[in-house]
Amino acid sequence: MEVKKRLSILQPGSLLITIIMLALAVVMIIPFLWMISTSLKTPAEVFKYPIEWIPSNLTWEHHQKVWSGAKSFGTYYLNSLKISIIGMVGATFLSAFAAYGFARIEFKGRNTLFLLYLSMMMIPPQVLFVPKFIMFEWAGIYNTHLALILPGLFTIFGVFMLRQFFLSIPNEISESAFIDGAGHFRIFFRLILPLAKPALATLAIIDFSWQWNDYENALVFLIDENLYTVPLGLQNFILENTVDYNGMMAAASAGIIPMIVVFAIGQRYIIQGLTNSAVKG
Amino acid sequence: MHNNWMRRQRMLGYIFVGPNMLGVLLFFLIPAVYSFGLMFTDYKFMNPDMTFIGLDNIKRLMKDPLFFLSLRNTLIFLLAVPVSIVLGFIVAVILNQKIYLKKLLRGLYFMPYITSGVAVAFVWMLLFQPNQGPINGLLRSIGVDNPPGWLSTTTSSMYAIDIIWIWFMLGYNMIIYLAALQEVSSELLEAAKIDGARPLQILRRIIWPLVSPTTFLLLITGLIMAIKTFGIIQATTQGGPGNSTTILSLYVYQNAFRYYDMGYAATVSWALFAIILLITVLQWVGQKRWVHY
Repeated sequence: MEVKKRLSILQPGSLLITIIMLALAVVMIIPFLWMISTSLKTPAEVFKYPIEWIPSNLTWEHHQKVWSGAKSFGTYYLNSLKISIIGMVGATFLSAFAAYGFARIEFKGRNTLFLLYLSMMMIPPQVLFVPKFIMFEWAGIYNTHLALILPGLFTIFGVFMLRQFFLSIPNEISESAFIDGAGHFRIFFRLILPLAKPALATLAIIDFSWQWNDYENALVFLIDENLYTVPLGLQNFILENTVDYNGMMAAASAGIIPMIVVFAIGQRYIIQGLTNSAVKG
Repeated sequence: MHNNWMRRQRMLGYIFVGPNMLGVLLFFLIPAVYSFGLMFTDYKFMNPDMTFIGLDNIKRLMKDPLFFLSLRNTLIFLLAVPVSIVLGFIVAVILNQKIYLKKLLRGLYFMPYITSGVAVAFVWMLLFQPNQGPINGLLRSIGVDNPPGWLSTTTSSMYAIDIIWIWFMLGYNMIIYLAALQEVSSELLEAAKIDGARPLQILRRIIWPLVSPTTFLLLITGLIMAIKTFGIIQATTQGGPGNSTTILSLYVYQNAFRYYDMGYAATVSWALFAIILLITVLQWVGQKRWVHY
């Protein structure tokens, strides 16, 4: 018998384990499969048992309903895209900028400031809802997209994560540039940012998914239907079509499928980023 | 001259940190201080005159049965955290074996975590449908005559939410454990095997203690994350039936934006903060005591 290179605790056949784990994985994603299947069915077939996974009377009518009419998901998509993209770009850049300051410049009060940052992570968003509501009302940005975009530009987690990454870049790199007369701005833009591309991509993807999925802030700060983001639009659709189960699942698909696509493209970055900040942070 | 330049470069630290600091000040620090002040007022949205009422809100909190109910519901909700951690660990250990399709499997288990909680909550709402839903359909077909009412009865609703949360978090825990398992030395495991240790013994006596820092981290961050959430509950049950799924974070939201009782909402939100603080302190103390390196 060959010497085993990689250790395995469960001896009998890898194939068997693969099959078992695959079966369990399918159970994990059954809610998604059921959602898609239901969105393509006729109302009479929704709760038919045993479940007809591939509907015999396949119909696109529910998806059409979601995407057309006065309350089209198109509007919600545009709103969500606008908020998430501005937030993602802004938050990534501003986090990188601050993270560089915290990681690679020794200025007075730095550690105290950073401690303050970390302590802010402990404050639950619920503590901030009421004062933010009052402040936004006063500033005239309540019930506008700015109420989501402006706070979305700042992420404490992002600063923390990028700081960890910048700390891992050897100091010699910037020191030699320093001796050549380069200042911090040049070092940041020319040296550190290019080196940090994977970390920036990770943060950007994670931040995008947070902003895209953010339901609670939108719920608190938006009233007008034409301003709704996808999660709010979805809730609205469901409240107005409580018996239209097919429509509900078509709407849920509209909310979920973009994230699955983002995940399929950026899986490597997402997983890397989450594990880095958890295991090494 | 050179020293001057060096000093100026150091001052740049404030410019780098400044913009972000401004945002943290505006959207975190000032609102937090403001919220703390609101705790001592009777501020209501409908009645903008703010009166200082001292500790009345806190006294009210101590006598509020709904507060204690939501505290209890929060604790039941938090049960989902350790369960999803143990399940995530088991899946990670198995996926760390010699098996095929590793990447695909990892992606499938992780998928619930990246999708929007709200959208997914609506799907579960239908899956849990007590009379005709597919889950109870399955249960009836295998001979369960009285399947649970899931989200629709006061006794089962919180546990149904737990199931959704376990399903949602399992993949995240698995991913973190998979990374931690890469650090477990294979020589150690090999040696244990040569000494005749059985697989389950290796798992319990060697791997589980070695990943205990990760378990601890997942427990703390998982508890804090769960405490802050209310989206999936607001989307599915709005705290019902009969307040049986009103957890603390949702109770804050309801007080603020359903009853517009903002001073009291701020008070409840600081109770929420107190719990998070408690968990964080436990983390500091516990890390030294319970974690085996």
